[in-house]
Amino acid sequence: MESLTSPTVTQRDQILVEQQVFNIFNTFFNMPPSSQSFMLELQRENHVDYLTNGLKHLAPSFCVLDANRPWICYWILHSIALMDEFVDPELEDNTIDFLSRCQDPNGGYGGGPGQLPHLATTYAAVNSLVTLGGDKALSSINREKLYSFMRQMKDASGGFRMHDGGEIDVRACYTAISVASLLNILDDELVQNVGNYVLSCQTYEGGISGEPGSEAHGGYTFCGLATMILINEVDRLDLSSLIDWVVFRQGVEGGFQGRTNKLVDGCYSFWQGGIFALLKRLNSSKGERSIPVGDGEDSEPESPQTTASSDATEEEGLNMDLSQGGSHSEKGDQQETSSRVTVDNIDHNSSKGRAKVEPLFNSLALQQYILLCSQDLNGGLRDKPGKSRDHYHTCYCLSGLSVCQRSWSEDEDSPPLPRAVLGPYSNLLEPIHPLHNVVLDRYQEAHEFFTRS
Amino acid sequence: MHGRPRKASKPEDEAASITKAQKLRALQTQFFSFHHSKIYTKEAVELSAKLLEINPESYTAWNYRKLAVEHYLSQPDCNPESVKSLLDDELRVVESALRQNFKSYGAWHHRKWVLSKGHSSVDLELRLLDKFQKADSRNFHAWNYRRFVAELMNRSEKDEIKYTEDMIYTNFSNYSAWHNRSVLLSSLLEKKAEGFLLKENLLPEEYEFIHQAIFTDPDDQSGWFYHLWLLDQTVTTDHPLLVSTWPAHGSDVFLVGDRCQNGSFSPFTTVLSDSGSFPIVLYFNQPVKGVSSSTVIIECGFNKNEELLWEPLSVSNSQTAQVWVAHLKCPTSEHDSSVEISVGYSKEIVSPRGSQYSHPSTFSFKVHVQPVERDSSRVSVAENILWREENFKVYRAQSEESIPIPSFDQLCIKNGHESTASNWRTEALAKEVECFRELLSLMDCKIGKLTLARLLMAYDVMSFPFANKLVHSEEVLELYNDLMKLDPTHHRYYKDEHSLVLLRKMTSSEESLLQHCFQYKDSVSSAIGNPICLRLNNLSLSRIRAFERLLWVQMLDLSHNELESIEGLEAMQLLYGLSLGNNKLRSLTALEPLRKLKSLRVLDISYNQIGDHSIDTTRYLCSSPLSHSVGSELNDVALINYWEAFYMFKDLNLTQLDIVGNTIADEKFKSVLVKIMPLLKRLNGELLD
Repeated sequence: MESLTSPTVTQRDQILVEQQVFNIFNTFFNMPPSSQSFMLELQRENHVDYLTNGLKHLAPSFCVLDANRPWICYWILHSIALMDEFVDPELEDNTIDFLSRCQDPNGGYGGGPGQLPHLATTYAAVNSLVTLGGDKALSSINREKLYSFMRQMKDASGGFRMHDGGEIDVRACYTAISVASLLNILDDELVQNVGNYVLSCQTYEGGISGEPGSEAHGGYTFCGLATMILINEVDRLDLSSLIDWVVFRQGVEGGFQGRTNKLVDGCYSFWQGGIFALLKRLNSSKGERSIPVGDGEDSEPESPQTTASSDATEEEGLNMDLSQGGSHSEKGDQQETSSRVTVDNIDHNSSKGRAKVEPLFNSLALQQYILLCSQDLNGGLRDKPGKSRDHYHTCYCLSGLSVCQRSWSEDEDSPPLPRAVLGPYSNLLEPIHPLHNVVLDRYQEAHEFFTRS
Repeated sequence: MHGRPRKASKPEDEAASITKAQKLRALQTQFFSFHHSKIYTKEAVELSAKLLEINPESYTAWNYRKLAVEHYLSQPDCNPESVKSLLDDELRVVESALRQNFKSYGAWHHRKWVLSKGHSSVDLELRLLDKFQKADSRNFHAWNYRRFVAELMNRSEKDEIKYTEDMIYTNFSNYSAWHNRSVLLSSLLEKKAEGFLLKENLLPEEYEFIHQAIFTDPDDQSGWFYHLWLLDQTVTTDHPLLVSTWPAHGSDVFLVGDRCQNGSFSPFTTVLSDSGSFPIVLYFNQPVKGVSSSTVIIECGFNKNEELLWEPLSVSNSQTAQVWVAHLKCPTSEHDSSVEISVGYSKEIVSPRGSQYSHPSTFSFKVHVQPVERDSSRVSVAENILWREENFKVYRAQSEESIPIPSFDQLCIKNGHESTASNWRTEALAKEVECFRELLSLMDCKIGKLTLARLLMAYDVMSFPFANKLVHSEEVLELYNDLMKLDPTHHRYYKDEHSLVLLRKMTSSEESLLQHCFQYKDSVSSAIGNPICLRLNNLSLSRIRAFERLLWVQMLDLSHNELESIEGLEAMQLLYGLSLGNNKLRSLTALEPLRKLKSLRVLDISYNQIGDHSIDTTRYLCSSPLSHSVGSELNDVALINYWEAFYMFKDLNLTQLDIVGNTIADEKFKSVLVKIMPLLKRLNGELLD
């Protein structure tokens, strides 16, 4: 072992990151309230500019060789959709055409035109098309061929290969099952033994690894859990140790690390944060119904205001965190008094099926990390301070932010309370469908489209 | 999915990247034309290498190269030497691709593919890995590849363990190295055939090793995770064991149709059996599956042809559970009948990890039946249990009653060979205890305290399996008290642990348990005929466990505690009366374990917080209501709004329920309850029509 006085490389890096993050927080807390609220503001316009530029920039060189083009489309389009913005019709058309050219004649999407079909890029392409929405986009997907591609990728072990002759891992299982479920082509053949494979990847830590023998990892844990929910076998996982593992991945910085003793990274706001969104919905997700996030099936007779709670400890918890967040707590309180809730409503609500569930992670601390440490004020989001922005991190930081903002909500249809949203209420993003990570109303449109056809 | 960060571009870079893009475009067009027309000339293959050097993630190009190799191998003129040099070329391409991006899935996968062909030297691989693992010691691709190579080379686990050691010496925070070490050790331990590689030889060395890391920096989390794994390896026995049963071995069970009529039997073992059957409970040391009428053999004079249906007592719907129950029909004649039950003579009882139940055990007991001769409706109406202090009298064992509580010798199935085999475990734990006492004498360390508490408890449980007392329980309780003050963030966890230790302490001996045994007697009823009530009230318990010692309990008073959960209570199959009054239960779903208690008649959940909170944290672990078919009964609108109540109570056979003092319990709710439970006679003390 090293001498007592010198920290390991890991520890040194961790200390550096902590210092950087705490400096940012300290500066923030010492600011006047007006600057604080600016700091906490999601720079929507800049983000949209950055993203749209990215997509436009891609456009002329869409055919450049890169095995990840559909991913870039998805990261950008999904981020834009989270902010409830749209791309102009021409760009939309171009994107649909481009993705059509990535579609293999024998099913599935490759990383670019002419490339082999690949499950991950298929997931990205399908999610992009679902995010764009509309008949042209949705009907461009050849589901019959896609199904036969998936059958070819299915390995005897139960897992899936990423592509012909490619690697088998939990990522492949998730992308296959997510797409199949979204397109309404999931059947017993595809599901068979997938659960066994995912189960063999849950480690003694509680999380799920990419392949058997490897260590637990945030991205794979999300993929594994989502897969198990989609195939209705989630009870087979050791959920309590999984929860145990994931809650301890949130660090002092407020953000999540991806693995034990690694550095915080903004993208795990979704991979780890999304796990909580899945857990929250677990008890309404069984069976054919998939996750009934606001499908309208369970329409509630009471007004959504009943989400306001009479629970003193809960308020204390939130306000305590918000006091660090500065100016925001006042707003929250005002809102609280202005929305009157009758006692009757609360009683009634608490006994009903969709009772509100408390998040198991510190949602406000994570929002603070995303807004203050991951946000590039010129547009785009990043891993951590000192790193540069990119589309991948923009997508997963924003997805994580959306999850946080609704982590206290009973259902995705009713807007969350102002105090659940850190910063101005205009920070509120669109809700996502946590199993597929597409914006909820786009999911609903697609769900309806593929159920019909 | 985790894309590599793309560098932010400056204007001058942009111009360069456009040129690069154009160049790439030309390359790509050429490559795809070769690929699609299946051209595998030297020139074409070289072109693909160029592409991969620039973009290692081009899986299409990797596949093309695989096809090219296969194509070459199918040629008549290929010889071993040319094959080797061809494959070496592949390895070179992979290596330069990895230098460009060592997180490229395609590149690592291609390397595995090449090596699987079996023509390349594997020795170079470790050197290459060394280089990559030094550059990023947490790269999971590299660790995965390392495990692949080690297996291919048949490299011994010991050599690989040595490698993790080197990595740990360079950076003991490297959790990937610790993790791989645990994987290697697990696989070593599975190869038991080699005899000398037993846990008892391996684990003590591992403890020594981990101490170095922990003493160097007690704040680093990686070592603690590994220590936790080691502790788990030390404590868990590989094979499932039966630890307790009801009825206990050698006991006499009295089955009565009516409590009021008998006087002479022990109140501990007299069971009301108005349903015509009685439960048999098997309690294992870990969850098992495969308990069935073919793995559990029953010999008894009555019910010769009856196949018992074994049911797992788990809240989720899985077929794996630590506790299993079956119901045996009561003998019809008044003659005493003995029952002998043999568990595990066939090998199908297994743990989820696949370890077999390998220590067959047999227990037997006698059943005495008292025929029913009563006017049942009259008696039931009169019954009204009031959980008042004055209604409980300290239980005094009648002089002639030899063993009032089924003794622990009977409760615990003896596994003689286990106790000797466990010597090394207790020794290892004792050493650890000593070591952490030393650590704590040097510094104040929360995780050190927690570990010491866990170690002491594990030591006590292990060294006194048939225990009379837990020597360290006071110290452990003190440690948890300390931790609650030191580390308020995790107060509730420590509080739960504190409760569990306290319970274990109280149930660890007959003597301490007897102090909590009372007899119920109110102004109208007589004490005779009522079962013993175990009173664990007013102890500020926030969690409960140790059910293996409480299987005999029929009346349980847990009132005036701080319980938010009653997880595990489903094991207490004989429960007839239960008070959970004045606790902190927050939702109806927290009562889920009760759904498995078919004998439960009297329930007090008054003065909890059900309905106070619109937030339900127990939901996370509650099995899904939608996974159960809810029948057509739910057409009723009132029931839809109260489906949780419907779900919780519809299968219970309660005759008396107290729910007063909960926000949820308004008039509307009460009318719903009456509708759900037609057998209910009293609600909040009031007689129902």
